[in-house]
Amino acid sequence: MKTAKTSKLLLSVLGLALLAGCNKAEEPGKPAAGGAAPATSYLETIKARDKLIVGVFTDKPPFGFVDEAGRYVGFDTDIGRQFAKDLLGDENKVEFVAVEPASRIPFLQSDKVDLILANMTVTPERKDAVEFTNPNLRVAVQALVPEGSSVKKLDDLADKTTIVTTGTTADIWLTKNHPDWKLLKFEKNTESLQALASGRGDAYAQDNLILFSWSKQNPGYRVLEEKLGEEAPIAPAVKKGNIELRDWVNAELARLGEQKYLLKLYDQYVRKELSDDTKPESVIVEGGNWQG
Amino acid sequence: MSFDFAFILSTLPAFLKAVGVTLQVGLIAIGTSLLVALVNAAILVYRTPYLQRLVKLYVELARNTPLLIQLFFVYFALPELGLKISGFAAALITMTFLGGAYLTEVLRAGVEAVPVAQLESGRSIGLSEGQLLRHVILPQAGILSLPALFANFIFLLKETTVVSAVAVPEILYTTKSYIALYYKTYEMLAVLTLICVLLFLPLSLLLSRLERRLQHGQFGS
Repeated sequence: MKTAKTSKLLLSVLGLALLAGCNKAEEPGKPAAGGAAPATSYLETIKARDKLIVGVFTDKPPFGFVDEAGRYVGFDTDIGRQFAKDLLGDENKVEFVAVEPASRIPFLQSDKVDLILANMTVTPERKDAVEFTNPNLRVAVQALVPEGSSVKKLDDLADKTTIVTTGTTADIWLTKNHPDWKLLKFEKNTESLQALASGRGDAYAQDNLILFSWSKQNPGYRVLEEKLGEEAPIAPAVKKGNIELRDWVNAELARLGEQKYLLKLYDQYVRKELSDDTKPESVIVEGGNWQG
Repeated sequence: MSFDFAFILSTLPAFLKAVGVTLQVGLIAIGTSLLVALVNAAILVYRTPYLQRLVKLYVELARNTPLLIQLFFVYFALPELGLKISGFAAALITMTFLGGAYLTEVLRAGVEAVPVAQLESGRSIGLSEGQLLRHVILPQAGILSLPALFANFIFLLKETTVVSAVAVPEILYTTKSYIALYYKTYEMLAVLTLICVLLFLPLSLLLSRLERRLQHGQFGS
């Protein structure tokens, strides 16, 4: 059969092409690959480019969002500007790339960004995939339900539908600990919230800071007391093996900690989003010093 | 960069399920699109007053709005008006909306492509309009439409990946879930590409064979 032969040939060619693509670890893309043993220093590469490329969220206030003027701003995003200022001498020498939760790690792996500053919780699986710096925030996962919902505790969700955003800590934790629960996954935080609002699921599991902030602006919802898993650090991340940039970020975080820089950003962006009795120390990690 | 085959194997059952969903959405949507298109094409060919205008408006509206936007509208916006439709149903509705429009155009073009001489010859030997349609127009229009029709079937099948956006667990949704959970970006995209090739290429070959066979009657060998 002529057609069967042709398709077999095509398949093997395609397979080879895919495999070949995977073996190429260092691509001549814009941000030079920061993999093992770089020929030139990675920091020098950034300086030569005269621009720091940072992946940020654009729909997760107060951490990364777009202000009225169309600028990328927020707690995480502004840290990126400060990094650019201290590394390249100008806070405008930064290029922000919009990422979604699920695209954060692929963007690092494929050298599309130098650094991810997008509210990424440190988990064992992610540690295998990227290089985390010291943390800048702390977080726990909780679940948001409508005010009148019959759901009182986490286990009530066992026979219900829980909404998550693809690739978030909540997605990972629920898949691992409750593989039999029904999950509905969306790409964007805003889509997940919209899905909850239109009753497509019974609860939305997400980082509690995002839920607190959203439910303060959108009455009619409550956050379940019970947490999904332990409180965990949130940290910037660089490509796996890029020790040089990681160490620079750590030193930079320590230096900013001396100026209480994160507290300043907390006052600017985060404080008004949370209830008045929230202590800053329960949210931010100044200087990169994590005490779990 | 190592290629984790063991991981790929562990995901295969889930992908098998996803292929089922993809085929389900794709094949049902092709069927319903064809039904919509047959009705619409009849309206256009017979120049039914008023309805003809409506069909033209529908075709333009459907062809000039992206599927993703139609999908978001049906899934996220309609509930605000009190109309809650499941992700699967939203997928079928929007794909039929889009596919129906494309196929309407294909069928209409097929009928219009039948040479006028054929109609005149038919009339001159005294065929009634009904006979003309059955024995002269439809057999030829059908054959003439086939290539474009089949191309649009494949197009619709491929478009099913878009419905992953409203949490329909088809192949792209499954791929993205695994990437998000285990960061096996290369492995999962390779599997996805391979599935697409395995799914669409044989179908494409089958359809072109069928096309050749059916056209044999018209053009000879």
